[in-house]
Parts: sequence; structure tokens; C-alpha cells
Amino acid sequence: MANKIKILLIDDEKGFTDMLSLNLESTGNFHVRVENKAENALYTASLFQPDLIVLDIIMPRRDGKKLAREFRSNEDLKNVPIIFLTATITKDQLDQEAGTIEGCPFVSKPSNFSELLKAIEINLKK
Amino acid sequence: MQDTRRHDMAQSLNILVIEDSPVDRKLLDSMLNESGKFSQINIVSSFQEALAHINKSVYDVILLDLDLPDSRGEQTLVELNQQYPLLPIVVNTGAYEDDLGLRTLGMGAQDFLIKGKYNAYTLNKALHYAIERKNMEMQLKLAYQQLKETQTQLIQSEKLKIVGGLASGVAHEVKNPLATILYGVTYLADNVKAADKNYDKVLSSIKEATKRANSIITDLLDFSSITKLEKKSVKIVEVLDKAFALAQHALDKKYVEVYQHIAENLPLIEIDQNRIEQVLVNLILNAAHAMEESGQLTIRINVEVIKETLPFYKSLNEEFFPKATKALVLMIEDTGCGLPEGKLNTIFDPFFTTRRSAGGVGLGLSVCKNIMDLHQADIILENKESKGTRAILVFKI
Repeated sequence: MANKIKILLIDDEKGFTDMLSLNLESTGNFHVRVENKAENALYTASLFQPDLIVLDIIMPRRDGKKLAREFRSNEDLKNVPIIFLTATITKDQLDQEAGTIEGCPFVSKPSNFSELLKAIEINLKK
Repeated sequence: MQDTRRHDMAQSLNILVIEDSPVDRKLLDSMLNESGKFSQINIVSSFQEALAHINKSVYDVILLDLDLPDSRGEQTLVELNQQYPLLPIVVNTGAYEDDLGLRTLGMGAQDFLIKGKYNAYTLNKALHYAIERKNMEMQLKLAYQQLKETQTQLIQSEKLKIVGGLASGVAHEVKNPLATILYGVTYLADNVKAADKNYDKVLSSIKEATKRANSIITDLLDFSSITKLEKKSVKIVEVLDKAFALAQHALDKKYVEVYQHIAENLPLIEIDQNRIEQVLVNLILNAAHAMEESGQLTIRINVEVIKETLPFYKSLNEEFFPKATKALVLMIEDTGCGLPEGKLNTIFDPFFTTRRSAGGVGLGLSVCKNIMDLHQADIILENKESKGTRAILVFKI
């Protein structure tokens, strides 16, 4: 467990986080923690100290973008790479944001698992 | 519709009198000259002669005797009004019937005079009021037309807003369970082996269906998000090259031969190049899908002067492309199966598709139409005389 990469999944869809963590853990490379309540995410992240955060954007009670800003202003978490997951990005928004959302990379939802894995690998190296 | 009128009432006016009786002609000439308001008073005695005059000169008003040697009765008025709907006509007749006046007004006359019942003053007053009324009538028609167009645009924009809001909500609510299904299936395919021989096939079908459902939602989201453009002056050939680069794979897959006939020294056009590239990719892919292997795709780009002899003139939006203006015309022709004849009116409707069984959603052409409308440009799709389809894009220069 000690050598595994720690990934925190923050998404209110329990079914989705269950399936995603199954896939990630099946690679044998990741230790995954799930947080389905966005309002608890900062606390969970502080305890878990993830190597990377996969963050949904549209969630009840706390917007993913706002949460990302909170991570950025937290001394312990500010350098943890974040990958956004989004179900509602359009081509227009994609052009405007030049391939990122709030400066963070994103993966559209749904996408192939291999695409998400690739994004995780790239951002862990940064 | 030919505008043969002048509109400035402060200027002296031109009148055409159509009257075959020599006595009445003389009398009218004298009455009209008395007013001093008419710089040109032309008097003709037949319908054909009148038509020749109207085609040559600009008139402000016509004084029309209904019974002429070559055209009789109310039909004279109907024909004249049909040919020159913008010209005010005052009927001048000796035949008095109780309801003739009302009937001629219903047929487009501005006023109705009975010979021998008016003097120079009342004649000139009737003619001036006729010009003024016609002018008001045309302004009213124009305002009504503009109001209708604005109303249509508002309805369209409201519809798009509703679809946009709905699409965004649906996207979020549907894509999340789709993502769950996709990752669930991915996990089973990669980690769980089953003895049943159909296991892989079932997982693969679920995966494909999920991706297809996702692409429908994604297209709907993109369709409803196109509401504004970022235009700049560009060379259409460069946009076309980019579109071909994106569509090349589909063309290569079917061994499609591409021919380009592009005029030299094409002017720059003001467009949102990303959006027009999207239109071109869509049309090229549609052409590729419609063709069997080894089909031919032909691109033609020319500058055309808008005139009635253009084969697609009747399909053009007159408001965007008035006669005698220049336009850049881009045609994409294929040798595919053509469009279903009975469906030509609905091809731009959202969710119209001829390729549902092959995974077509039917938003591509409505997206193209939406983009072209925002450019105040035209898109026309027609079946070629020989086999295949022709897409015509017409841009303002």
C-alpha cells in the first residue's frame, strides 16, 4: 500500500465513484479514497494527503471550481494536481478555456478509462 | 418586383395617364398642368404602350382608364397592379356603377374617380393623396415584415435558450449514469472473465450503445450552445484545407477522389472560421458517408453576381443577397445516393437523418444551418441532375 499512488475522487455520484475506483484499483497502482460529499472534501483531502485529485465540477452544495480554489489556497494541498471531470463542457467553452478549466486539465464524462489514466499519468509527472 | 416609384413628395412628380379618349386626354392634360406639381405628364392610349413607358421611366402615380382598346375593365387594373405592386394607381372611368369604386379599391387602386365629376383641384388632391397613401402602405408593409422577422428571430432565440438550458440539464443528469455504465463495463471486460461465449459481445454492445447515447447528448449540447460568432477576414481556401485535414480519414477510407475547381484571386470573407470549418467538415463527411467506394467529391469556389439566371437563385434569401450584389459561392458535390426527394424541406430540421441505423443523430445539418444563418449566409442542398448531392454555401463579400 505504501508505494501506491494516492488518488482522491470527489464526485457526488456514488455509482460512478464506485466504478471508477474499481477500475483504478484494478491496475494495482493506485490507492483510492472516495468523497461523495463535496462539503467534506477539504477535510478528507487534509487527512488523506492525496498525490492527485479527480474532481467533479457540478455537485450539490459545493461547486468543483470553487473547491479547486480552496485546495489551491491550502498550504498542504496547493501543489496537488487536480483533474476535473465534466459532463457539460461544449466546444465553445473548450475553445475559450484553451483545453483547461481554471488552469487545470479536464477529462469529459464519460470518457474511456484509458483516457483518464493517461491524464493521471501526465499530471503526476508534472 | 420592380420599384418604379420615387418617394420624395417635395420633388415635382411624374405621372402616367392611360386614357384612350382624345377628349379626356386633352382635358386631363390641362387639369394636371394647372396644378404645377407634375414635372412630367405622359399620356398613352393603350395598355401595351403604358407597360413600355413604365419600364422605361420612373413614375410616381398612374391615372388609369379601365376601358382600353387592348385591355378591358377591371382586368386592366389587376394586371397593372400585379406587375407593378409599388405604383399607386388611381382609377378614372366613365362607367359608374354603385360598387365599382369599392371593387377597384379592393383590387389595389388607391382611389376611384368618375369622369365629369371632378375638377382640377379634386383630381390633383386625389392623385397626391394616392401617392401619400401608397407610401404609407408600403412603409406599413415593411414595418410589418420587419416585425414578423424580429418575432421569428426572438422565437428562435427563445427556443435555443430553452433547448440550451434543457440540454445542459439533460447532459449532466444523463452523462453521469452513462459514465457509471461505461466504467462498470470497462471493469468487467478488463478484470472479469466469464465462461459464456457471448460475454465479450454483450459487454462490447453495452459499451457502444453507451458511447452512442453520449454522442447524442454531446451534439445536443454543442447545437444549443452556438449563439454568437467571432468573425474576421479570412481566405476561404485556408478554412477548406483545415476542414479537409479533419475529414481526410473518412475520405481515404472510401477511396474518394477529390477534385477542386477554385477561382483565382478570391476575396477575403468575414466569417467565424472555426464555425465555417465545422460546416465544411460536416458537409464533407456527409458526402463521404453518402458515397460507395471510389466516389468523387468536387469542390467549386467562385465569385458570382446575384441574378435570376443563377440556378440556385430561387433558393437564396433575398434579404441577404439582393440582386446585382456579389457573393462567394462554394459548392460541394458528391456522387452519392442523393437526398430523399420528399424530404428536401425537412433536411435542416433537428433530428432529421438518413443514417440513423448507421449511428447518425440528425443534428449536423441543423447545426450547419444555424451557423450559416448567424453569418447571414445561405446553405442550399439539392440533388444533382446526375447522381449525387450538391451543397451550396453562399457568403456575402
